[in-house]
Amino acid sequence: MGSFEIDGKTYETDDDGYLTNLDEWTEDVAKYIADVENVELTEAHWEVVNFLRNYYQEYNIAPAIKILIKEMKKMFGPEKGNSAYLYDLYPAGPALQACKIAGLPKPTGCV
Amino acid sequence: MTVLFVVLGYAALAIFIVGVLAKVWKYGKTPAPLKIPQTPAPVTASGVPVRILSEVVFFKSLFKSNRVIWLAGYLFHIGLLLALIKHYRFLFASVPAGLDYFATFEMYPGLIMLGGLGLLFLLRLVVDRNMFISVMTDYVLLILLIAIAGTGTLAKHYFRVDITQVKEFMMGLVSFSPMGSNSTFPTELIFLIHFSLVLLLLVYFPFSKLMHAAGVFFSPTRNQVDNPREKRIVAPWAENLPAPTTDVEEVAEAHGQA
Amino acid sequence: MADTEATATKEEPKVLTDLEKVGEPIVPRKKPNDIHGDDLVGKISVPKVQEGAAAANKPYLCKSENMQKLGFPGDLRTDWHDAAIAKMGELLKKYKSLQVYMDICVKCGACTDKCHYFLGTKDPKNMPVARAELFRKVYRKYFTTEGKILGKLAGAERFDLDLLGEWYSYFHQCSQCRRCSVFCPYGIDTAEISMAAREIMDHIGIGQKYVNDIIVKVHEVGNNLGMNPKALKATLESTEEDLEEETGQKIRLPLDEVGAEVLMVTPSADFFASPHVESLLGYAKVFHQAGISWTFSSVASEAGNFGMFMGNYSQMQKVASRVKLAIDEIKPKRLIVGECGHAWRIAYSFWNTLIGPFDSLDPNYKRPEHICEYTLDLVNRGAIKLDKSKNDDFVVTFHDSCNVARGARMGDKPGGQFTIPRELIKASCNRYVEMDEETIMEKTFCCGGGGGLLTDDLLELRVQGAMPRMQAFHKVQESHGANFLALICAICKAQFTKILPKYGVGMDVAGGVHQLIANAIELGAKE
Repeated sequence: MGSFEIDGKTYETDDDGYLTNLDEWTEDVAKYIADVENVELTEAHWEVVNFLRNYYQEYNIAPAIKILIKEMKKMFGPEKGNSAYLYDLYPAGPALQACKIAGLPKPTGCV
Repeated sequence: MTVLFVVLGYAALAIFIVGVLAKVWKYGKTPAPLKIPQTPAPVTASGVPVRILSEVVFFKSLFKSNRVIWLAGYLFHIGLLLALIKHYRFLFASVPAGLDYFATFEMYPGLIMLGGLGLLFLLRLVVDRNMFISVMTDYVLLILLIAIAGTGTLAKHYFRVDITQVKEFMMGLVSFSPMGSNSTFPTELIFLIHFSLVLLLLVYFPFSKLMHAAGVFFSPTRNQVDNPREKRIVAPWAENLPAPTTDVEEVAEAHGQA
Repeated sequence: MADTEATATKEEPKVLTDLEKVGEPIVPRKKPNDIHGDDLVGKISVPKVQEGAAAANKPYLCKSENMQKLGFPGDLRTDWHDAAIAKMGELLKKYKSLQVYMDICVKCGACTDKCHYFLGTKDPKNMPVARAELFRKVYRKYFTTEGKILGKLAGAERFDLDLLGEWYSYFHQCSQCRRCSVFCPYGIDTAEISMAAREIMDHIGIGQKYVNDIIVKVHEVGNNLGMNPKALKATLESTEEDLEEETGQKIRLPLDEVGAEVLMVTPSADFFASPHVESLLGYAKVFHQAGISWTFSSVASEAGNFGMFMGNYSQMQKVASRVKLAIDEIKPKRLIVGECGHAWRIAYSFWNTLIGPFDSLDPNYKRPEHICEYTLDLVNRGAIKLDKSKNDDFVVTFHDSCNVARGARMGDKPGGQFTIPRELIKASCNRYVEMDEETIMEKTFCCGGGGGLLTDDLLELRVQGAMPRMQAFHKVQESHGANFLALICAICKAQFTKILPKYGVGMDVAGGVHQLIANAIELGAKE
């Protein structure tokens, strides 16, 4: 278990730094986690984060990477709907790193 | 002296037999609830004895694993087998047909045993991995076996123990008339040591890793048939098993943490 | 307690509870970026032992809420010692394997250089016999005359907190791959011992987070991923779109279609992760081309069964019972299992016991069937055609998954689990090469992530444990230009995707057998 503090409010995380309570997520939380992860959040990063959050709200799970790519393509065109672009934004892997910043739990299982 | 060794002899033999049978009984009655043959495995029941015999007779898996350990173990066990066969002459008035063949030439089974045991001992001292897993009893057991093989060899080839006397004594023991007229305990020190150590080994056997001699036949990874899709097995304890509790309060109560 | 990078407020060093002491590695874990594989030289060498070298490896503890959801205590029981001994006594009476293997090891040393985790970590307690000794020490002390009288001289020890800490560490450094058992003169199976150890630990309140959290997810949501039926449906529909775009044909990924001839049970990772999903496309294309009606089930949306990893019969049965429910609901004629190693061991070896008999399924087919058995049969009968040239970019080699190789079979003959996937691969590509014979078939090395260890808190162990396989792969990479490591296991796929880069090999080298089939299969009208 870990935790961090922003403006006097404490946020619980799991052992790997993923936010425990999804509802506590704010943009400031995202910025904080991104900072720890050495990711500077640009408009492009936010597009991914927002998509992940919307998807999670509907399905209670992060999207498969293929779906993420496809939906990014649909929304923002082929130059953003590809794996290389996403890895460029989130070098530690879009599934893990972007989910962490978006406040989603870490995907587990045989993945 | 004779009385003492007669009593000790019977006691040791009784402990050995009862001890081994008790363990075998335990192995036999403990259920194997799941099919866990280590595959590829025989797909018919008739294949299982072949698999097990290839282990017991040739140490097949050990051969696959490590040739040096195989050689050491195999030498020792072959030597032991030959030594046991040669001991027949102390137990039977007339040596059974077939076994007398072995008496016609010298094989020095004790030396074969000693060679194997020495190598096994050396492996424990020389290979860091074997050294790490060895505890006192592992060394002591090897020393005990070395002493038995050593005294036996010395008794036969060096001290020339009075064989007739030994035979009288042993036959007295096995025929349950130990106090017969000719049956007195041989007095040679070397025999006394040899005989005592063997009794010690018999007593220790059922409580030690030596039980591998019986256990090898009960190993589920080796004695099961590979036919789980065709034949269903269920252990008695696993029939109608209730699904595990998931109610948090019930769990806390069950573990006295409510 | 782990001091993650996200922790902004430095806490005062606090006194650890007994449970935390058990769960805390003696040596701090390395950061993921500091973990690298050995140099690849194509040679697997046996190291000199380094005591304590793997002491940093302990998985995270399962939190009390999820422990209780599985029926385990939420904290280390105050009477843990007595409870553990009592449980051990119970298991000794329930499992012949455990009882016999406790007694008959002669410590010959044959297994000492056979475990990938020992070879990778150099820690002597990762030698199979030494791992089992951690259990035997306690067994001898409380259950044998020898241990009661001779104590430490016979290798008997009191079960104390330190030893429990070693249990937690080293019984979570066994992937239950059974390689040691192959080389043991008595077939002693360390997997059986590590399963029993984990069951005892769960029983006294020490669970492993990764495995236990996943089983909770299976019970609550239906699969290891935690993908609910709605998400599963959406994911399958999206994948159908992809398939249509790729092939121009309506290839379906049906879900919950009652009356389908085939019920397909596959690891949930196949729906979600890469490269797993490529094999999913392969299954769909095979069924499509075979013209058979088939379906997934949202009830049984997981072939994997982590109940085996925790050694708990009831949990394993409960997870497996979802398949039974799905059979009752869908009423299929055939039951087919996708690419997953431990799942196939459970399906092949345990399902009949746990949830059988499968009387409602057609007895003319194996119950259950492996997808490789099914597909190869179609290929051999000419019911599907494969264009090998579609895989001409690849020089393929096959990694035997441990649970398939040593714990199950395919086909009718012993060793079918080796020949059937290979025949299938060779039917789908022109260039196939075999790795060193000491590392394949029954002697195969685990990928390093099996047995419930596929978690990032054990990343260093996973990288080290993959060393023997990586060396063997590197050898054929150098000699034959191998560039595709064909797999039939979801854990292997996830493990290699993560680990290959740590050895300087591209992650796209890892792929499924049905990924090759997906590439090579000729779709469209049959001749």
